[in-house]
Amino acid sequence: MTKPSCAASCALIVMLIAVSAAAADTLDQVKARGSLKWGGDASGGGPYIYQGDDNQLTGFEYELAQYVADKLGVKSEYVNWEWEMLPEILDRGTIDVVLNGYEWSEEREQLWSSTIPYYIYKLALMARGDDGSIAAWDDLAAKEGQPRKRVGVLAGSAAARYMEQRLGDAIELKKYPEVTSVMGLVEQGQLDATVQDVPIAIFYGKDFPKLHAVGEPQALGYYVAYVRHGDETLRERLNYGIRAAIEEGTLKRIYEKYGIWNADQEQLLEVGKSWPPKVEAAATQSANFGYYSSLLLRAAWTTVMLSFLSMPLAMLLGLLVAIGRLYGSWWVRVPLEGYVEFLRGTPLLLQLFVIYYLLPQLTGFSIPEFWAGVLGLAINYSAYEAENYRAGLLAIPRGQMEAALSLGMSTRTALRRVIIPQAVRIVIPPVTNDFIALFKDTSVCSMIAVVELTGMYRFLFQSHPRLMLEFGVMTALLYLAMSYPLSLVARRMETRFKQVHA
Amino acid sequence: MIEVRDLVKSHGPLRVLDGVTLSVRRSEVAAVIGPSGGGKSTLLRCINGLENFEAGEVEVDQVRFAANGATPTNGNALRELRRRVGMVFQQFNLFPHMNVLDNITAGPRYVLNQSREMCEAEARQLLDRVGLADKLSAMPDQLSGGQQQRVAIARALAMKPEAILFDEPTSALDPRMSAEVISVITDLARSGQTMIVVTHAMGFARNVAHTVHVMHNGRIAESGGPNQIFDAPREEVTRAFLAQTKAI
Repeated sequence: MTKPSCAASCALIVMLIAVSAAAADTLDQVKARGSLKWGGDASGGGPYIYQGDDNQLTGFEYELAQYVADKLGVKSEYVNWEWEMLPEILDRGTIDVVLNGYEWSEEREQLWSSTIPYYIYKLALMARGDDGSIAAWDDLAAKEGQPRKRVGVLAGSAAARYMEQRLGDAIELKKYPEVTSVMGLVEQGQLDATVQDVPIAIFYGKDFPKLHAVGEPQALGYYVAYVRHGDETLRERLNYGIRAAIEEGTLKRIYEKYGIWNADQEQLLEVGKSWPPKVEAAATQSANFGYYSSLLLRAAWTTVMLSFLSMPLAMLLGLLVAIGRLYGSWWVRVPLEGYVEFLRGTPLLLQLFVIYYLLPQLTGFSIPEFWAGVLGLAINYSAYEAENYRAGLLAIPRGQMEAALSLGMSTRTALRRVIIPQAVRIVIPPVTNDFIALFKDTSVCSMIAVVELTGMYRFLFQSHPRLMLEFGVMTALLYLAMSYPLSLVARRMETRFKQVHA
Repeated sequence: MIEVRDLVKSHGPLRVLDGVTLSVRRSEVAAVIGPSGGGKSTLLRCINGLENFEAGEVEVDQVRFAANGATPTNGNALRELRRRVGMVFQQFNLFPHMNVLDNITAGPRYVLNQSREMCEAEARQLLDRVGLADKLSAMPDQLSGGQQQRVAIARALAMKPEAILFDEPTSALDPRMSAEVISVITDLARSGQTMIVVTHAMGFARNVAHTVHVMHNGRIAESGGPNQIFDAPREEVTRAFLAQTKAI
C-alpha cells in the first residue's frame, strides 16, 4: 500500500467511527451509560454553575440539570469546559448537551437543536452610583464634546451583540473573557458601565456595592439547552424534564433560592408551547467578507502596534538589566537576577492580569488596556532580552574593555562606545527571533480586552460559528503575512553576521 | 616620572608580585625581561590600574594611587592616571566595529571631548608616523597583525601620554611584522617618549632600552644598563635566563 492511500484509509476509518458515533441514538447511549453528560463552565461563575461555600458545585443550572437527569432516570454528569468551546465538544460527542446560559439565536438553531427555554433573561445596565452622567440607557450614547462612554461586556454574550446593534460606535465597547473583573473595572473607574444578564447582575451586584442598576432591564431573550441535530428524541426527553420542573414549581423554588425569579418567568410554559421559533429555511445571509476582512485588518494593525511599541521598550529595559547584572554592585545584581528569574518563571497572562486588574486596585492608578498590554509585553520580554544581552556582552573579549579603560574612558563611556555597539551585533539574531515570538504572544492581550487579531477572530466565530474555518484561515494568513517578512529579515541578518565574523 | 614602590599582588597562594620597586625617569626607555610567569605583564597592568594589588603604591607624574586601586573612591585618580599612561597590548585589542581613523580618535573624542576635525587631523599625522597613511578607513580585520599593532600604537599616542606601557607588543607577530612594529617603537624611543616595554625581543632590549630589569618569581632580580645585563650579568637568574633565550 502506498503512503497516500494508507493515509486515506486511516482517515476513512476515523470518519466511519465518528459517523457511527453520531448515528447511534444519543438517548440510548445516555440510558446505557446511566448518565447524562452535560457541559458548562464553572469559571463563568454564579448563579449558573459555581463552587459554593462548601467547595461543592452548585448553581441554578446545576440543580436544573440534576432534576432533568433525574427525570430521565440517569445520573447527572457535569463536564467542565471553556464556555465558548462548549458547542465544539458537543459536536465532537464529548457531551450530550450544552446547558450554561446559552441564549437562543437563529444562527445557533441552524447548527444545533434547542430545548424549550428554561429562563427568560433581560439585560441590566450597571454603573457607579456616584456617576450622575449615566441615569438611563439613553445616557450611554456619546454627547457632543464629551468622550465616549466605555462599556464592558462579556465577550460573545448576548449583551455584546445587543450593545453593538443598539449603540454601535456611539460607545466604546470593551469585551472581556470573564464577568466579575468587568464589574471591578467599572467600580475602579476604568469603565463607565457594564451590561450584564440580569441573573449575573443580581448575583454579583452585592459584591460591588458602588454599582447600581440603571433604568429597566432590556432586550428579552431565552436561555436554552442545545443538543446535536438528529438528537430530537433526547431533546424531547429534556423538554419533558424542563416542563415538569416548571409545572411542579421546582424551577420556581430553585430560582427563588438564587434570587432570580421574576414575573417574566411566568411566560416560560407559554413560550415553550410553540418552540422552537420558525427559522427561515437556510437563511443564507451572504457572509459579508469584505466587512469581516476590514475588521480583521484593523485588529491586525493593533497587533502590529502592540509588537512595535513593546519590543523596543523590552530591548531597552533588557539592556539596562543586563548591564546592571554584569557591572553593578551586588545590591544591583541580586534584585535584577530576581527580576529576570521571576519574569521568566511566571506566565505572561498572569503578568498582564496583575498590571491591568491588580495594579489599579493597589495603587489607584489605572492603565488603558492597550498600554497595559504594551507594558506587560515589554516587561515580560525584557527578561529574555536581558539574557540575550548578557550573553552578548560576555562574548566580547575582556581586552576590549581593558583597551577602552586604558585610554582613560570611564566604564560607562567604554560600555557605550566600545562594548555595547559590538554586543548589539551579536544579539541581533536572537533578538529578532524573540521579536517574532513576541509578535505571536500579543494574542494573550485579548484576555485584557485588547482587540488584536486573535481576539477579533474569537469574537467573529462566536457570532458566526458556521464561518469558524473561513475566519481561521484568514487570521492565520494575516499572521503569516506579518511574521514571514520578519523571519526573512532575521535570516538575512544572521547570515550577514556570520559572514563578517567568518 | 613613574615610581612603583613595594608592589604586592597574589593570585590565591601564589605571589605574582612580591615587593616590586621600580623607577622610570622622563624620556627613559625601560625594558622588562625575564622568564614567563615572572610577573612582567602583571606589573604593567598594575601600573595603569587594570589589576588591583594588595600593598604598595604607584605614582605617575604626581598622580598617586595605593593598594586596591580600583575602588570607586579613587576611580577618578585612576582615570586621570590612565590618561597619562598609554597601553599597547599583545593582542592589539583594536575596536573591531570602528575603522582605523575612529580607533585612533576614540580616546581624544570620548575622553578629552575634543572636536572631531581636530582629532582627525592629528590622527592622520600619527598614521603617517606609523607608516599607515593609506589605511585611514580600513577596518581592523582587513589589516595584518603588524599593521593592527601599529594602529594600536597610534591610538595610544593620540592621547599624548606621558608614558606608554608596551605589554609584549610583538609576541603575537611573525618576525617580519615584528620588525616593522619594533622599528616604530624604536623611532618613538629615540624621540624621547617615556616607555616601559615588557618584551622577549632581546635585540630591542639591548639596542634601544636605557635600563633593563630582569623579573623572576615576582621580584626584580637585577636592573642595569643593557651592557651590564647582557655582557656582565651579576645574578644567576639573569645568566640562566639569557642562556635559555640564546639556546632558542
